[in-house]
Amino acid sequence: MPDPVVVVRDLSVERSGRLAVEQVSFELQGESETAVVGPNGAGKSTLVAALLGLLPRKHGEVRILGQQLSPNGDLPGAIRSQIAYVPQSLALQGRFPLSVAEFVGFGFDPPGPRWPWQQHQKRKAAVEKALDRTGCLDLRNRLLSELSGGQLKRVMLSFCVVRPRQLLVLDEAQAGLDVPSNERFQQLLLELRRQEGWTVLHVSHDLDMVRRSSDQVLGLNRRLCCSGSPDHTLTPERLIDLYGPHMVPYRHQCHG
Amino acid sequence: MVDTQTLTLVLAEPFMQRALIGGLLTGALGGLLGSVAVLRELSFFSDALGHSALLGITVGILIGVNPTLVLIPFAVLFALLVNQLVEKSSLPTDALLNIVYSTSLAAAILFLSLVESYRGGIRQLLFGDILGVSSLDLIVIGMLLAAALIYLSLSMRAQVLLTLNQDLAGAVGVQTRWHRLAFIVLLAVVVAVSIKAVGVLLISAFVVIPSCAGRLLCRRFPVYVFVSSILGGTCALLGLLASGLTNLPSGPSVVMVQFLGFLIALLLSSRLFRRLSTPEPEPQA
Repeated sequence: MPDPVVVVRDLSVERSGRLAVEQVSFELQGESETAVVGPNGAGKSTLVAALLGLLPRKHGEVRILGQQLSPNGDLPGAIRSQIAYVPQSLALQGRFPLSVAEFVGFGFDPPGPRWPWQQHQKRKAAVEKALDRTGCLDLRNRLLSELSGGQLKRVMLSFCVVRPRQLLVLDEAQAGLDVPSNERFQQLLLELRRQEGWTVLHVSHDLDMVRRSSDQVLGLNRRLCCSGSPDHTLTPERLIDLYGPHMVPYRHQCHG
Repeated sequence: MVDTQTLTLVLAEPFMQRALIGGLLTGALGGLLGSVAVLRELSFFSDALGHSALLGITVGILIGVNPTLVLIPFAVLFALLVNQLVEKSSLPTDALLNIVYSTSLAAAILFLSLVESYRGGIRQLLFGDILGVSSLDLIVIGMLLAAALIYLSLSMRAQVLLTLNQDLAGAVGVQTRWHRLAFIVLLAVVVAVSIKAVGVLLISAFVVIPSCAGRLLCRRFPVYVFVSSILGGTCALLGLLASGLTNLPSGPSVVMVQFLGFLIALLLSSRLFRRLSTPEPEPQA
């Protein structure tokens, strides 16, 4: 069996002076899709931030592609460039003078200082290809701040696909999307995941989507309450354990 | 209003030539850093730093050291202090900046009232003295402009991603903490160096107005940074020439020209103007 892409052991993270994630352990196998579910304030985004080295760990170990994440969140550039991340939103207040093609181009560049004109032709070709694959080619000259929510999310996937990567992390990427945009985003993500061989970790509140697309579910409420396949995890009893008794009216979201 | 012959004579004077070059460089530098500062919502930071710099100048006067020499370390210290406060405190940034700058401004005015000999110079501190720019000042401003250009060019990806989403930037390998601090310190040094020419009260206009005008006109990031810088330099040059022609104070004249430039940018970017110049494309679904 190949080595897992991500290994998390006994991870504890503090946020705003309290333990937001406590003793969490899991593995992400190559080319698998894992969903993190749980109520608001359960520590899902904190878990993702700590895994990416954006927050310091109080305790525990994180290994990505065989490389240990240092205590201050550093990873070698070669490993860092294998990671893509889709946040909930971008700070695009007012008119932001950045075109779609430029933004996607920043996804092509590796970490570290470089002149803007370096590898211009290669970057341009890669951007065109990425935008074409996500159906965003006609948006390339639009400002990022002019896009609709659905368009912006597809452009963010272009940012991820503009160079080969192994790990894709999404933090409630579908938040704020209407049903058709959400469906389109999901379909695109599924296609790209298969083509690129991405290992995907995503935080989601959409249990129907989690059931349909995930290989593994992590039920988090500060601690890992349950984990395993969707059929094993998304049962009425486990969801009530995870979300509390108010989950009862939503039993249609799980098998039972 | 002076006649053109007198203006030609004045322009031939070395102090006026230094003033024009100083204005051009300071304006370009303000526009360059302002382009990122405005997007990162740091406009108020430059304003607060400008006002707080008065305390640095006062400290220099009190300890008998050239105020310009005290100003740069003071500005850097202020920037680091504010950065720490913002990171550690749960209060909003604008409120914290307000507390720090109004306190330091009040302290500066209290200290200045104790220094009899400097009371006459307060007007120069508030509105700047572009005609007093020395050759050494020009070299320092020129070097800062070159350093800022190189830093922003090499870190453009980091600056943009950091502005859009700090977690996204960190996830793809941007040293977010380092770049945030480096930019704030650079902005602080630029504000400190520019205060002699521009004055405490008007320094933020040099950072904010050209970049807002550039933001209205540009659709590509490097073009936006370049246009903001060019607008900053050009407005400063035109403002100084207008000041020489009308015998009005230089700093406020530059700001009025910057405002005029902003109004023109607003007009050019307006829906009405675009409709007149090109047919509007169909909205994307």
